Amino acid sequence: MASVGHHGQMQAPVDQVRIETSAAMVEAVAQSRRREQRRFRLTFVGTWLILCLLIVGGLVAANKIDLEFLGRWQQFILTGIPVTIVVSATSIAIAVVFAILGALGRLSPRPVIYAIASFYVSLVRGTPLIVQILFIYLALPQIWEGFAGVPTIVLGIFALAFNYGAYMTEVFRAGIEAIPRGQLEAASALGMTDRMTMRRIILPQAIRIVTPAIGNEFIAMIKDSALVSLLGVQELLWRAQRVGTQNFRALEALLVAAVVYWVLTIIFSVLQDRLEKRMAESDRRL
Amino acid sequence: MNRRTHGLARHTALLTAAMLALGACTGAGSADDDLLAKAKAAGTIVMSTDPEYPPQSALATDGSYEGFDIDVGTEIAKRLGVEIKFETPSWEAITAGSWSGRWDFSVGSMTITTDREKVIAFTEPYYFTPAQMAVEADSTIASVADLAGQSVCVGAATTYQQWLEGTLDFGTKTPDVAPAGVEVVALTTDRNCAEAWQAGRRDFEGWLSSSTTVQGAIDAGLPVKQLGEPVFAEPLAVAFDRSGPDPTSMVTEVNRILAEMHGDGTLRDLSMKWFDEDLTTSTGD
Repeated sequence: MASVGHHGQMQAPVDQVRIETSAAMVEAVAQSRRREQRRFRLTFVGTWLILCLLIVGGLVAANKIDLEFLGRWQQFILTGIPVTIVVSATSIAIAVVFAILGALGRLSPRPVIYAIASFYVSLVRGTPLIVQILFIYLALPQIWEGFAGVPTIVLGIFALAFNYGAYMTEVFRAGIEAIPRGQLEAASALGMTDRMTMRRIILPQAIRIVTPAIGNEFIAMIKDSALVSLLGVQELLWRAQRVGTQNFRALEALLVAAVVYWVLTIIFSVLQDRLEKRMAESDRRL
Repeated sequence: MNRRTHGLARHTALLTAAMLALGACTGAGSADDDLLAKAKAAGTIVMSTDPEYPPQSALATDGSYEGFDIDVGTEIAKRLGVEIKFETPSWEAITAGSWSGRWDFSVGSMTITTDREKVIAFTEPYYFTPAQMAVEADSTIASVADLAGQSVCVGAATTYQQWLEGTLDFGTKTPDVAPAGVEVVALTTDRNCAEAWQAGRRDFEGWLSSSTTVQGAIDAGLPVKQLGEPVFAEPLAVAFDRSGPDPTSMVTEVNRILAEMHGDGTLRDLSMKWFDEDLTTSTGD
């Protein structure tokens, strides 16, 4: 900067040319980078398509796939998709409630509440999800008969929500702690009680902060929801497995299930990506 | 965004309502002491079935169930004057008892054994299946005795597993002794054994199941063949949970219905329909 001021007058035309040349160069570089990016993306999509075609085409060509079986049973298997989605969505919704309670407990200054919340998180995170599911289904009714009357789908949803709630507790705690202290001070200066501050100031912002994380958990949940097939909930995997064994067509049936789970996670990942971008944008506007 | 929150809220509300309703249901208890009275009062009876066990029980493409056991269960419900519903727990959960009222009875080709009698109340047999040993189509094993010291695949918690382990006891008469030193490979359901062979796995040399299941695998074109004569014949009965409401009057009533179905040829007709042979009379061996 200083040197420009020094030789300012004399070097002006030269500088002009330099600026124009460099602008053109920047444009050229940008263009070639865009072209490269486009080529990269095209190659990426192309490679995926070729890989899929190779796998599917190879299996069909090798006569490993019974297309007649697929045609006859695909409808029955695919009917499991709404069940899988409802189980996952409901479980996540309830898990959010568990997570908020867990996070509030983990941030509580009261030792008993803090201990209870920590106990919950430790218990759930320290045991396998499949053990929790089987325990809720097989063992709880022996402790309290009332559990036996609960439909298995509700038990499955509860087990998944209970588990994910514990993992999401830490996410929510981080979300709550991300609210600047100044806001708490401002709220108390306005005469708000702690509870009011939590409800009106902190939680609304915290939930917004953790929304992308909830999306991630939902995608993971879609896959873990397959575990409730163990309870006889007729979701995607249950249907695929029964039909596969019944007809000695495990390859086709499991292939269908795998592809559906994969496609579902891809769709929700794209939605999740968009949501994240949109939220980032509105953050910038703030 | 708004719509989604509404959707979630609705689900949660529905679930809460369902849980509350269920909580209310379980408070009752007095009229539920007798299984028959309970079923008649409810107007429905819930049957457990394992739909991986054709031709006894299988799924149809529309999600309904079909097979010999399904037909027998449906006919029993009809003659009881109640609607039938189905639950699909694992076979192990059925034979273990303590059903916690999730289903009321099993028409699942369950063999009457002394062990199971402790937790399960059985009716008289409604049919009999021979237990059949099978090997891979290209196997060089020539007799059941040759399987001594080899490994044999079975469905978990089946009488086939108990026979190989030397614990099978019908109470009335004991079947022949199993080959010595057999290593048992127990999979979730009988058909998983044939599936393993189909997938090219060689984890076991033999497969013991009911003759109808073995025949089903052969008919499906799997590389499986029967090995020798059936090893024993099993009496198969309708089962109830002893830990639930008292099943005594229910057993009496279903026994009456089964005798009726034996007598009027219903059971024989169903056996011909699903097995192409009459398995409803004791083989008498």
